[in-house]
Amino acid sequence: MYGASVDDIKQDGKAEPERLAEFEARIARGEKIEPGDWMPAEYRKQLIRMISQHAHSEIVGMLPEGAWITRAPSLKRKLILLAKVQDEAGHGQYLYHAAETLGATREEMVEMLLTGAAKYSNIFNYPTLNWADIGTIGWLVDGAAIMNQTMLARCSYGPYSRAMVRICMEENFHKKQGQEQVILLSQGTPAQRRMMQDAITRWWWPTLMMFGPHDTDSPNTPTLVKWGIKTRTNDELRQDFVDQLAPDLMALGLTLPDPDLKYNEETGHWEFGSIDWDEFWRVVKGDGPMNAQRMAARRRAHDDGLWVRQALAAYAEKHGSLN
Amino acid sequence: MPDTQWPRFMVFQQMAPGEPLVHNGTVHAPDIEMALLNGRDVFVRRPRAHAMWVTPVECIFAKTAQELADGTWLAGVQDAGGAEEKYHVFGKLHHLGQLDQLGMVEAASAPMAMKRAIEGFGGKPVLVWWVFPAARTLYSDEAEAESLFQFSESHDFKNQAFYPVITMMRQMRAKGKLED
Repeated sequence: MYGASVDDIKQDGKAEPERLAEFEARIARGEKIEPGDWMPAEYRKQLIRMISQHAHSEIVGMLPEGAWITRAPSLKRKLILLAKVQDEAGHGQYLYHAAETLGATREEMVEMLLTGAAKYSNIFNYPTLNWADIGTIGWLVDGAAIMNQTMLARCSYGPYSRAMVRICMEENFHKKQGQEQVILLSQGTPAQRRMMQDAITRWWWPTLMMFGPHDTDSPNTPTLVKWGIKTRTNDELRQDFVDQLAPDLMALGLTLPDPDLKYNEETGHWEFGSIDWDEFWRVVKGDGPMNAQRMAARRRAHDDGLWVRQALAAYAEKHGSLN
Repeated sequence: MPDTQWPRFMVFQQMAPGEPLVHNGTVHAPDIEMALLNGRDVFVRRPRAHAMWVTPVECIFAKTAQELADGTWLAGVQDAGGAEEKYHVFGKLHHLGQLDQLGMVEAASAPMAMKRAIEGFGGKPVLVWWVFPAARTLYSDEAEAESLFQFSESHDFKNQAFYPVITMMRQMRAKGKLED
């Protein structure tokens, strides 16, 4: 039987501290932990929390971009956007699979999302108001996600790491198609430039919030770093993102909505203003511009699909296929 | 009828003829034939595939190097006799790798198949072993490979190299405009 069960306690007679020391030594050597291997209950719990939230983000993340498929400005952009949204559905599947190897069931995870007990990335609670938002999501939002996912591709849990390697490969297309659009729109007609500037103004701060609270307000981080789940902190990743994106966006003549943004010659880093954490927590707690619509859309999709799940289950039962 | 997300199936993919199959992940499906189609939709969006296998997750018998380390499990496996059947053998050889197809053994039970796999293919260190019965596996039909998989190869726009953004950014930084 593949996939560890939560009550599958290994009876090898070793004491917990001894097992924990072995586990941490394996991680220190760069080994991957696989389903079936011993792991602390807290490692399993933290991974299920992170991976299922990540999976939900891929699924909910289809909604803001999906809204623009019918209104894409050309067949080329429409096919690209269709392929990208389809990829996000696939990424959700890879990630749910990784959580399932830890004993979480799909039914439980879907239930947690639909009842609001589980979170998904805050960024998807913001609306997509014009076509330039699609390029911005590709370059900024997927770019920020890739930085986080590149770190997670090196994480200590084998199935999560493998899902991330695959996702990063596919996300590079998402980022570059977005960057290409931002470059072209920023050099386009006056109306296109205005549209592009409007999108950057609205998405810049929410994108910086994607990296999560400051390290000082992120109580799980030290444990996650010690067990090789995260290898870098929220603030380190956020700084990398600003260092990469700020000069590129400015080279395109775009203005970032932060009067405190400036390059520090001594440190070699871009300094930026304070994030509005009140807004961050308000949106996390459900009061963002699109929280209610996103949840309603997911629940409707789930309810509308009930007859399909039942019909196919009835067919499988009647025909008694291999499973 | 209770609501369900359907059972899980393990998906294996072969990128090109002659290459070993590689484990991809799982899909949920009401039956094994739908599992093959769902597997195609989830895992063959890119870059390519030549063949795909699916098997119910409960058919996978797995052991990690850690579980086998002290030798007690292996020493306890008894050949109880009975009719033998074919089992596929997959193994993870590198910490950063996937499970790759290693070959096939014949045995009367999954534990015996595991034991024979370790005896037959254990020349190099294997981190995770899987065996599963060939009779419980559904294989994509070679004659249908083109219609099942080939279309995924033709979408250049899904390749990140399709977007010349590095060149475009270089032009913007140097000249403040794009060249035609």
